[in-house]
Amino acid sequence: MAGAEKREVIYEVKNVSKRYGSVVALDGASLKLHAGEVIGLVGDNGAGKSTLVKVLSGAHEPDGGQIFLDGEERSWSSPREALDAGIETLYQDSGLAPHLTVSQNVFLGREKTVKGLLGKLGFLARKEMEHDAHADLERVGIAVPAANRPVAQLSGGQRQAVAIGRAVSWARKVIILDEPTNHLGARQAGEVLEVIKAAKKKGLGVIFISHTLPHVLEVTDRIVVLRLGRIVKDAPTSTFTGDTLVGTITGTIQTIKVEGD
Amino acid sequence: MANSKQATSAQTTSVAVADRLKGMLSNQSTILVGVMVLLVAVFGSIEPKFLSAATMNNVLTDWGSVVLLAVGQTLVVISGGIDLSVGAVVGLSGVISAWTMVNVLHLDSTATGSKATGGLLVGLLVSVAVGVSVGLLNAVLINKLKIVPFIATLSTMGAALGFSVIISSGMPIQGPANYELISAMDAKTNPFSWAILGSALVITIVGLFLHKSRFGLYTYAIGSNTFAARAAGISVEKHLTKVYALSGGLAGLAGMYVYLRLGAGSPSSGTGRELDAIAAVVIGGASLMGGIGRLWGTVLGALILFTVQSGLIMIGVAPDWKKVVVAILIAAAVAAQGLQKSNRRS
Repeated sequence: MAGAEKREVIYEVKNVSKRYGSVVALDGASLKLHAGEVIGLVGDNGAGKSTLVKVLSGAHEPDGGQIFLDGEERSWSSPREALDAGIETLYQDSGLAPHLTVSQNVFLGREKTVKGLLGKLGFLARKEMEHDAHADLERVGIAVPAANRPVAQLSGGQRQAVAIGRAVSWARKVIILDEPTNHLGARQAGEVLEVIKAAKKKGLGVIFISHTLPHVLEVTDRIVVLRLGRIVKDAPTSTFTGDTLVGTITGTIQTIKVEGD
Repeated sequence: MANSKQATSAQTTSVAVADRLKGMLSNQSTILVGVMVLLVAVFGSIEPKFLSAATMNNVLTDWGSVVLLAVGQTLVVISGGIDLSVGAVVGLSGVISAWTMVNVLHLDSTATGSKATGGLLVGLLVSVAVGVSVGLLNAVLINKLKIVPFIATLSTMGAALGFSVIISSGMPIQGPANYELISAMDAKTNPFSWAILGSALVITIVGLFLHKSRFGLYTYAIGSNTFAARAAGISVEKHLTKVYALSGGLAGLAGMYVYLRLGAGSPSSGTGRELDAIAAVVIGGASLMGGIGRLWGTVLGALILFTVQSGLIMIGVAPDWKKVVVAILIAAAVAAQGLQKSNRRS
């Protein structure tokens, strides 16, 4: 985490709020994400994590507040806009297309075509994509048996790895991972954490949302704690222990509201 | 199963080889070719005349009219939908096409020579245009009004049937019958008439796009997981519009195919054909849940349908049995699919 503060702020939300009817889901949340930094976003159910993720990924427009990408104020009217701006989001169970192969999933929406007229007609460079998908996944630390296998034939952990690998290999600025280690065995979860570290090395800003606190403590540089729609703590991971983190989340440990710096 | 277990512990190359072998054995098209060979052998041994070029031509001629519908249906089914309107579109496009030739171009069944040929070409364009229009209407109902494909295409099926009866007053419209073209169904290039070769060409082109191009990939992706397809930036509505328009267009083409056989546009000429098409698709191994299917399977599925039909007639079985046999084939195909799936999981 050393040095993260010196890096440029890549993605920032200032004072964002979101109400659903009379329910205040998000109440003036501010967050800064630096390039090459991993932020853990934690909080109890209903604390506002999913809402904040939806605002960050462009799925929901906030009622108030500002969003900055690379210092420029932006607003997203669809996830596609955020995607095009370099923000990849891995939703809890968005999943992949199970009947398509690994490489088809990795390249879905961004296929490579063959050269010439056939390419203009949309004919695909299958071998090239299989080769590149394999290389891309390997680069982010994922060992997948074969890029030409249908995803349906992979284990749950391998599928999740492919989904994350896809997001990491395409993300240009920010990657948001919503509960990526859910339902995974210890070894597979470990692999996912390695991928997150690889993304960090690549200079991406990573937002990691998880209920599994040991994973959060292991992989993040900074932890942001949400409670009842507010950010109640935003501090370097090294200042937390497992117990103080749980205390902060549940509110048994008194917190001072962090003012935007 | 034991074989595959050994293979996984061996090197990746041998895994690939084992996969390929297993793939071939569990491959739907291998099974289908086997079924075809079996059918031909059984029918041929009971009635040797079955093994003649004339029979083959009959089978292929019937096949040609339904396989075009089945090809469009394959794409729709892979995308996770269904198109019930295609049979009615055969009738409607044939009727409108004949009506146009008779009432707009003033050609009747006595027209001959190049005049009739030109008329039939116009008829072909009209026929395909009618099909594409119904396909686009299906897409609007599905995309804009959010009606599920089954109901959307059921209603356009009803409307198309109704309109074709209204336009034709329920009687076939006799159009130009240029023998040169009407004889397209004759086996001059024995046993392949050029109409059949034309259908084969269309199938090949659609097959290449389905299995090798972005268009096909998106069709599979949408049928496999619409949410993931949308998240990947695919414009699902736009793509489905193309798929239903293609299905309608191919049904329009089939409408002209049937016109050429009859020399007339008949409102009832396609009635029930959509079920033959769906049967061919299902026998060919596509899943009505979407995401699965091969065009080659559908082509074989349609061929099996008409082999059974011709074969039963030739060995002297009452035609009504055809429906029972087709029903058994469909059930067997779906059951085989289910068994393959559970094998793969274990």
